[in-house]
Amino acid sequence: MEPQGPAPPPLLRAVTSSTRPLYQLLKSINFTNKVHVEITENGLRFAADHARVMQGVAHWSRSLFTSYTAHLTRTPTRVEDAQEGDDEVAEPIIPTFQISLPALLETLQIFGAADAAARQARADVDPYRSNLRNYRSDAFSNHTLGMSGTCTLSYPQKGDPFSIILDENGVSTTCNLTTYITEHANGSGEDDGDYNDNDIPFDKEDLSFKIITHARWLLDALAELAPAAPEKLTIAATKTEPYLRLTTASGPLGSSTVDFAKGRDLLETFAVRRRWAQTFKFDMIRSATEAMRIASKVSLRGDGQGVLSMQFMVEVEGREPSFLDFRFVPYAVCEDDEMGEVGEESEGEGEGEEEEG
Amino acid sequence: MRFKTDLRNVRTFSKLTAALNSLEKIAWMRLDDDSVRFTVIPDTGSQVWASLSVDLIFDNYHLQSAEANNTINLELPLGPLQRALKSAINSSYANLRLTKRDGIPMLSMTIHTMTKDGVHESRGGGGGGFGAGFGGGRGGGANNNNSPDPFDEHVFAQESLELTMKREREKIITQDIPVRVLHPDTVETIMQPKVREPDVHIQLPPLLQLKAISDRFTKLALTGSGASSSLTSAGAAAFTNTRSGGGGGQNPKLELSANMHGSLRLRLATDTLDITSVWHGLDNPELDPAQLAMPLEEHPSTHFRQAGPDKWATVRVDGRDWSRVLSVGRLEGRVIACFVDDHALILYVYVPHVDDIGAEDVVTYYVSSYSA
Repeated sequence: MEPQGPAPPPLLRAVTSSTRPLYQLLKSINFTNKVHVEITENGLRFAADHARVMQGVAHWSRSLFTSYTAHLTRTPTRVEDAQEGDDEVAEPIIPTFQISLPALLETLQIFGAADAAARQARADVDPYRSNLRNYRSDAFSNHTLGMSGTCTLSYPQKGDPFSIILDENGVSTTCNLTTYITEHANGSGEDDGDYNDNDIPFDKEDLSFKIITHARWLLDALAELAPAAPEKLTIAATKTEPYLRLTTASGPLGSSTVDFAKGRDLLETFAVRRRWAQTFKFDMIRSATEAMRIASKVSLRGDGQGVLSMQFMVEVEGREPSFLDFRFVPYAVCEDDEMGEVGEESEGEGEGEEEEG
Repeated sequence: MRFKTDLRNVRTFSKLTAALNSLEKIAWMRLDDDSVRFTVIPDTGSQVWASLSVDLIFDNYHLQSAEANNTINLELPLGPLQRALKSAINSSYANLRLTKRDGIPMLSMTIHTMTKDGVHESRGGGGGGFGAGFGGGRGGGANNNNSPDPFDEHVFAQESLELTMKREREKIITQDIPVRVLHPDTVETIMQPKVREPDVHIQLPPLLQLKAISDRFTKLALTGSGASSSLTSAGAAAFTNTRSGGGGGQNPKLELSANMHGSLRLRLATDTLDITSVWHGLDNPELDPAQLAMPLEEHPSTHFRQAGPDKWATVRVDGRDWSRVLSVGRLEGRVIACFVDDHALILYVYVPHVDDIGAEDVVTYYVSSYSA
């Protein structure tokens, strides 16, 4: 974009010796074909979006990498406006693009695939070996011996492919993922928070409730409800018992309810400003199952417009925790005229499911 | 026409059969005084010519027919052969003979396994019989020996007085494999493919490693096919299902290249990605001038070597077929790949003899390849 030396430093270069945490985090938002990527100085942000009613965001914090360098260019125009920010000369231009999410996930799995194959072969040769703990790394795997390879991510400059370079066991694999220009005009740098213009709006100033609990318990609750193949899930937060209630209705096998009634024991943080109840497509909430599985804690929040936010905290061994963010837009409720902007996806289905309220 | 032999190295024979069976269900088995040859020629996909010396898998080999060299040609189903060999793996003795049952020709495999009486097994064999009993016990387990749970200590079965130390029993299993005896005229026309001298020959990295990476590439090719994910298949498992289902109709092609400077390259390019795996430092074996029909200087591989490491010989293989070919990695022999640029790929899988260091048999794969 601007005149520079013949070889500008790459926008991003990051190295790690383990792709497993990267893979795990990304797998949690594996519900779309394309994922939006943003490169910041603190890490990479991946946002998956389904029909503008559901959004999942995963962060690869720079702490997941052994080395992480992002050379972001800065907007010169902002220099004058930056008096308040003392050292901040300019807002960096956040590079943003889309890549194929399934392709990225498959590529990350190549790392270690050969090692796993070798382990399986050994188990094949030695019939006395137990296969009970095959998934564990054994004492002589390359990983344990510290001979594991490296995974390098690189994005030289705008328009270039996003490259993953895996070096391991004498094999070097380079995967260049085609980068696509983001569909929406990118408003990066303008937004103060974590989210940018493409995100589902969530009003942090107008929270109706905030609950923090173990992600595992939310997973258990959904597992309890899932067998009836419900279409819709109503989430209700109240100041009194049952505090948090998940109800499914309109499934072919009737309805069921899970209450988190023993609030004191189950919920770590519990703040309800006013009663909040919204209905979501069950399959949408279920797409967050993988996140519930790997996360230790979840923070559930609902805003005045009915948007549900789930934030998951994923603890990675020996590193600071990573976070996964999900946002869900509810079905429109008929009387509520303020739901105008989310009404497009309900298509008159809202009538049938007035919650008890 | 007579054919009768004992089996040896059943494990090797079993692995070979499994490798062939992954490509095609029916094989042509050609027996003569010097060698045993298995050939599979699928309608589509790679064909295999496995030429083994008799003593790799057979012992006490008796063969007799009206043909020259006592040749017998059989068509046999690989699935039943594989199952029979599976039960023979831990046997003490197994043999194979050509016979007839109800007028139908059969390859009949007789498997002797040592198995112990269940009650005695729970008490542990006597010191003398331990070694023999150990092997036999494993065989017995595979043969549905419905003994009481040996770990259940609360059951005290009553036994009759037994004064002999003979605590093993021999079990004999017979597995019949229906075959067709082929007339020499019908197989005469089946010829091993003729391919010109290769441009590049290179020793492949461990096949299971190559297979692991190739399989990922094949999956990647299917992710690029734009199977649009719907939210109804939101679960991770369901997601994979739609994907593999969507890719069922197509056959992703992988690009495989090698040079005469020790490098092998696997590449896949689709709209969404371009991925390449490279191996370096592989061996390009020296050719034996005595075996060549032309002077070594004129051999295509010499030209490729002189042209430097950027001179690649490339073929395109079908991802799924290639994966099946690589399953021969279980045989653990070294594998030489011969590339004829944009034309053909041949793999020579050398099967080492267990008891004869240096002796090797070769299984030849004519990998089906596609032009760009």
